[in-house]
Amino acid sequence: MHLLNRNKWLIWLGISPSLIVYTLFCMIPIGISFYYSFQNWDGFSDPSFIGLDNFAALMKDQVFWSSLKNNMFVLLASVLGQIPIALLFALLLNGKLRGAKFFRTVGFLPVAISTVIISLTWNMIYNTQYGLINTLLKAVGLEQLAHNWLGDQKWAMLAVCVTIVWQYVGLYLVIFLAALQNVPAETLEAAEIDGATGFVKTIKIIIPMIWGTILVSIILCISGSLKTFDLIYVMTNGGPAHTTDVMAIYMFNKTFSSFQYGYGSAISVAIFVVSLLLISVASRLLKVKED
Amino acid sequence: MKRSHTVISKAVSIMLVLILSVGLTACGSGSNSSNEPENKPSNGGTATEEPAKNVELTFWNIWNGSDAYMGVLNDKVSEFQKENPNIKVKIEQMPHDQYKLKLKASAAGRQLPDMFVVWPGAELKPMVDGNTVLPIDDLAAEYKDKLIPSANLIDYQIDGKQYAIPNIVVYTHMIYYDKDILAKAGYSEFPKTYAEFKEMVVKVRDLGVTPIALGNKGQWVLQSCYISTIGDRMTGSDFLVKAMSGEKKFTDPEFVGGLNVIKELTDLKAFNEDMNTIDNNQHLDYFVQGKAAMFVEGTWSLGGVQEKLPKDRNLGLAIFPAVEGGAGNPQALSGVTGQGVAINKDIDPGKLDAARQFIRFLSSEDTYNRLLAKDQLVPATVTVPSDASDTLKQLISLTSGGVAPVYDAVLTPQLTEIINNGLQSITMGTKSPEEVASELEAAKAK
Repeated sequence: MHLLNRNKWLIWLGISPSLIVYTLFCMIPIGISFYYSFQNWDGFSDPSFIGLDNFAALMKDQVFWSSLKNNMFVLLASVLGQIPIALLFALLLNGKLRGAKFFRTVGFLPVAISTVIISLTWNMIYNTQYGLINTLLKAVGLEQLAHNWLGDQKWAMLAVCVTIVWQYVGLYLVIFLAALQNVPAETLEAAEIDGATGFVKTIKIIIPMIWGTILVSIILCISGSLKTFDLIYVMTNGGPAHTTDVMAIYMFNKTFSSFQYGYGSAISVAIFVVSLLLISVASRLLKVKED
Repeated sequence: MKRSHTVISKAVSIMLVLILSVGLTACGSGSNSSNEPENKPSNGGTATEEPAKNVELTFWNIWNGSDAYMGVLNDKVSEFQKENPNIKVKIEQMPHDQYKLKLKASAAGRQLPDMFVVWPGAELKPMVDGNTVLPIDDLAAEYKDKLIPSANLIDYQIDGKQYAIPNIVVYTHMIYYDKDILAKAGYSEFPKTYAEFKEMVVKVRDLGVTPIALGNKGQWVLQSCYISTIGDRMTGSDFLVKAMSGEKKFTDPEFVGGLNVIKELTDLKAFNEDMNTIDNNQHLDYFVQGKAAMFVEGTWSLGGVQEKLPKDRNLGLAIFPAVEGGAGNPQALSGVTGQGVAINKDIDPGKLDAARQFIRFLSSEDTYNRLLAKDQLVPATVTVPSDASDTLKQLISLTSGGVAPVYDAVLTPQLTEIINNGLQSITMGTKSPEEVASELEAAKAK
């Protein structure tokens, strides 16, 4: 530590390449977005300064609030869906299950498939007339459960979230599996000698020992769900009638389809603020637990 | 020993993956440079004259679908390539919905290619205001009132200047129906009034067939193909301009009445349930598979339906019937000229002549004749061949009743987005026609 203290310029030299790239492509564009959020601008002509008008309009914009609500929905579904499911499968696969390698590969496969392909495939699965789910439901006589999954405002967001959970479970599965490998066998053996059952071992030893990994995964989950864009863009493009709009899609459509670059920038500033708030709250909450 | 062995084999496989990916990238970029030898002037043989300067023109279009006009225009592009080996046209093609988005974003970022297909009116205006499109008045003068009547050039004019030469005429509304299904429902010809049309919808539904296949995921179908014409039946053709200038309001009963037609049709279960999750290609599929009695789309679909529809099915063409109490001309159809190619304002001056030459070649009498032969309507005054198909004759008679404006060519992009989403809300029952109308009026006032 003292060695590094003496050569502070060395530290700066070391991080300068990434710092320059980060400033150029992250910090400066964020700054520019703030600037444009105070302008009335269609992307072509000269922007005119309108103060906080964009934000005043945003506060009254129902579509924005419903897109924020949808973002929170995705966030909850991710944290409460992906993490527990991935943990369960990781625990199962970590045991002496036959074909564990095969299941691991199958579980990870969706992560490696392009999001566009996933979206198109799930669009077919959800299709009302010939989709897999409705065909299956009709085949077993449960027609009353068949719905217009992506077209009905009651089901659309849920259907999208199921796909998101399905897509990323594999990622956390692999992360958890790696963490489970590091749980020392000696500790588990000792517990067994003390008469601990599998369930007790899991709750009292394994989960506490990989708790750090779980926390990191939760943070990843939160930030991942805030930037959700591509999957929903292809599946529904926020439709029907804004039902599945998340903030990023609303921003994109306002900016690039209806030429409201100023208003779009105001939405991105809002995304920035919400993300900052959530991440800082989450990391603070989780740190308390860590102590 | 074993451990070191696995380490080595792992290292080897990682190396292999790296080498493979580097190799693949190299192959990918290699295809770009493979044209170089062709471009070099050849030394051997009879070529005595000075080789012309080589020019590369980048060109974006949407001609990768099944619409008949796309094939004709693509053929013309490749013929141009053959006749002008010194001009290389580098083409990038995208599907319609994505293309429009990319074009707007690229225009704002000044990343447009040398030439690109543009849509007239409100879509073109911001690009012109942003100084990204080159006026081609001199080129237009070669066409004006010679090959193309000046009325057909107007769509591509902004503030009196011409920005593209239209290649086709599209009417955004046409009802394609299955004559046999309608006959089974008791209709030997298409209903003449909206009230009869609604009765027919109920009868067709009772047969267990979806009356109208609709794929509105892209949101423009209900707006461009439905409400542009249906709205016109209620309001008359001067309403949009008056509404934009403040003389009329979107909350006026005649406009709300147009939106209400969509609500009534939805309430009658005229559409397939998944209308908002499938796109217009899929609604064509439903119709072709015999799951629906009709579908509504522009005249551009004709080629695709004829190609896909089995021979034993009878295709009928119709337009939306007269609406009782409507102020509009019951024969009018929403229509616009289209597929014009515009030139980038920032084009390298050395390439400009080649670009003009390309447009002259593409929008030529020969092209319009070939388009007509494929049952496509054209903006040019070329004579309809005597052996024209019955379909083309029918199409020409159906579309001769007057032209109504297409909503997204007149409304600002912002208002278009609101009406697109509003129409979806109406079909989902989440908003009433009155609410959508007042949303439009409120956004207009800004």
